Amino acid sequence: MSRFYVSGMLTFLAVAAFAQAPDSTNGDVNELRSEIRKLKEEVQSLRADTLGVSSQEDELDAVEERLDKRLQELENKIDAVSRSTAPIALNPKMTAFINFAARHDDKTVYDATGNTVISNKPFLRTVEMELGSAVDPYAEAVTIISLEDEAGQGYSIDAEEAYALIKRLPIIESAPLGLKLKLGRYRAPLGVDNVTHLHDLPWTTRPLVVSKFFGTEHGEFFESGFNPVGLDAQIFLPSPVPGATFEANADVVRGGDIALSQGQLTHQPAYVGRLTLSEDWNNEHLLVLGASAYTETGSQNTHLFGGDLTYKWAPTERRESHSFVAGAEAYVADRFISDSLRAFVKENPVGWFGYLQYQCSYWTYLGVRYDWVEEPTNDAQVTKAISAYVSYYTTEFLRFRLGFEHKSSDALVASLNNTNSIIFEANVVFGSHPVEPYWVNR
Amino acid sequence: MNTRLFLMIALALCIGVVQGSEAQTKKLNVVTTLNYLKYVTEAVGGDHVSVIALANPRQDPHYVTPTPRMNEVTTNADLFIENGLSLDLWAKNVVDASGNPNIGPGSPGHLIATINVPVKELPTEVSRAWGDIHPQGNPHIWLDPFNIKIVAENIGARLKELDPANGDYYDKHLDAFKHRLDEKMFGSELLDLLGKKGGDILTRKAKDGDLVSWLASRHLDSKLGGWMKMALPLQGKKIISYHKTYVYFADRFGLSIAGELEEKPGIPPPPQHRDDVVALVKREGIKVILNDNFYATDAADYVASKTGAKVIVTYLDVWANEDVSTYENLITYLLEKVLQAQS
Repeated sequence: MSRFYVSGMLTFLAVAAFAQAPDSTNGDVNELRSEIRKLKEEVQSLRADTLGVSSQEDELDAVEERLDKRLQELENKIDAVSRSTAPIALNPKMTAFINFAARHDDKTVYDATGNTVISNKPFLRTVEMELGSAVDPYAEAVTIISLEDEAGQGYSIDAEEAYALIKRLPIIESAPLGLKLKLGRYRAPLGVDNVTHLHDLPWTTRPLVVSKFFGTEHGEFFESGFNPVGLDAQIFLPSPVPGATFEANADVVRGGDIALSQGQLTHQPAYVGRLTLSEDWNNEHLLVLGASAYTETGSQNTHLFGGDLTYKWAPTERRESHSFVAGAEAYVADRFISDSLRAFVKENPVGWFGYLQYQCSYWTYLGVRYDWVEEPTNDAQVTKAISAYVSYYTTEFLRFRLGFEHKSSDALVASLNNTNSIIFEANVVFGSHPVEPYWVNR
Repeated sequence: MNTRLFLMIALALCIGVVQGSEAQTKKLNVVTTLNYLKYVTEAVGGDHVSVIALANPRQDPHYVTPTPRMNEVTTNADLFIENGLSLDLWAKNVVDASGNPNIGPGSPGHLIATINVPVKELPTEVSRAWGDIHPQGNPHIWLDPFNIKIVAENIGARLKELDPANGDYYDKHLDAFKHRLDEKMFGSELLDLLGKKGGDILTRKAKDGDLVSWLASRHLDSKLGGWMKMALPLQGKKIISYHKTYVYFADRFGLSIAGELEEKPGIPPPPQHRDDVVALVKREGIKVILNDNFYATDAADYVASKTGAKVIVTYLDVWANEDVSTYENLITYLLEKVLQAQS
């Protein structure tokens, strides 16, 4: 084959390679790749014709090298396009949660208002839509809108959480000590259970102390807890224990929203504080100790102090098969309520709960919880409950749970006391579903 | 007066020297999600980086629980490196909770190591009905040494951007690391024969599937060494894997993945699918089942008991045990395990 012909073919192929590869933002990506591969096949067939002619082989090597570079450039462009310029790239990440529960009780059960019967009924307890996105280089935003079952009397819409998370402070352009500011409405850092949403709980009901001390509309079977409007600042502090992590939260929140102080004239604002000491070993054992406090002044002051402990074990290998969690939270409150003579009576209710959970297979978890709480309106009256449950996960997105609870209370008349309940729960998650934080104990 | 002036100048010079030497010795604090990223960063960054990996090398990289300790060590990071491709989604929790404004996504302090890596199994449609699917393609890219070269280039470029004063140092270490990988891949004798561009030429030939024929045409086939020579007996051999972990490894070293024990990614295999795999193994005469160390081996043991295939429990990340103390050892370890099982 003449040298002129070979040179001409090589020139044509090189020009064709650059001319025929269109901008990767247009057209079919696979067609582009296919074209370049065909060009390479033509080069290889030319190579077979020129086998042994080392100078022409070198030229073919050079053309092949340019084709490879062009292919890599196209791959890079395609990569950049697919990662960052898709039309929906700036939309918030969305996750939806549906929580359904049905109960069977051997006695009549009323909700926390005492007006609505909730025994032996199914409920669509919450439907939550979570949206999260970066706002700009300084902040991210999270919105959790929930549709909540009003004990079978209809549904209400609530901004369960809606906040901006400031990660970089304007002007100083940094955030000392890992400072994070949360501004809006959020579940307050009182203990561990309160920051966990209903659908993420390892149980079907809220612990009694959380619903009674922090807040509830319809009782621990429905969404409860303390989610004030305010500002939370979280920082890392030098740890008093070598190797452990020490964090502090300090919050300024709207006063009067916590259950313990409702009905009182409240001075603004109220304050929340939390210290967390944690340590993990080999990503296998995690121990978290916390101390929380709430304080509010007004016609009478309200204070709440609490401590919590969580221990988690999940083996580094084969973790899908077994894990173990144990935890407890305890609170003591200092509050005033008005008596029938409109005088203020001081109450110091105490409440606590403890739990164990063991994962016995990839799908199945077993657990028990014990609750003990003095009624906030009369600390001489105690309510206790013991519950056991089995949870079955098809995947992290679909969970079924069957629980049993025995509850007794000094605050109930005999005909309503000592109830035994069987509760079935189904929880569905769909959407982007961000990774669960460490305090969610699946 | 002159003495005082002299002392002041001397003091100023001393302070300048100390500060200068501090600037030269100050290391970049780098946090990586996975241990292979730590290894590559240390190979490229050398004495100018201090690297921490967050995941335990023996744990499933998909499911690492971000802890306060991880958040705190990331607070002071100059550079945060994640694998990306939706493998280490937990990385975002750590970045957010660290309160470190310099490592947010899109900033120079945040690097997705797999940028520009040619990704396999990119789905055209995505649905959770198909299991725990990776919407950006198969993320287990590090088991192909050619992809590690791209990762190293990405890390080198970012180190240079953050620390331009040591740019030449990073370039030198990057070239040395890539050359080391080429030597492990093809053998030092063949590389020396082909000269400076030998690594690039051989890499291109291997990617095109032409390596053996090209070497034969130039009478260099007896000079082939390294992993490519080790892998010659594995060409076309079929294997089963528990999860879609070995796609890149198989493609590079000539293996063929006949199927996975997981019917759908991330979901333990149901009994019917296990029996389907038993039938496949018997039909194709497959001898090897690769089971990542962090997955249960029940299904693999069941198939092995019915077919006589060997179950190999494999580690996938550097420093998972004493056999995989470097990236190079990791690839050698995997090849040796498969070769032993095939014999």
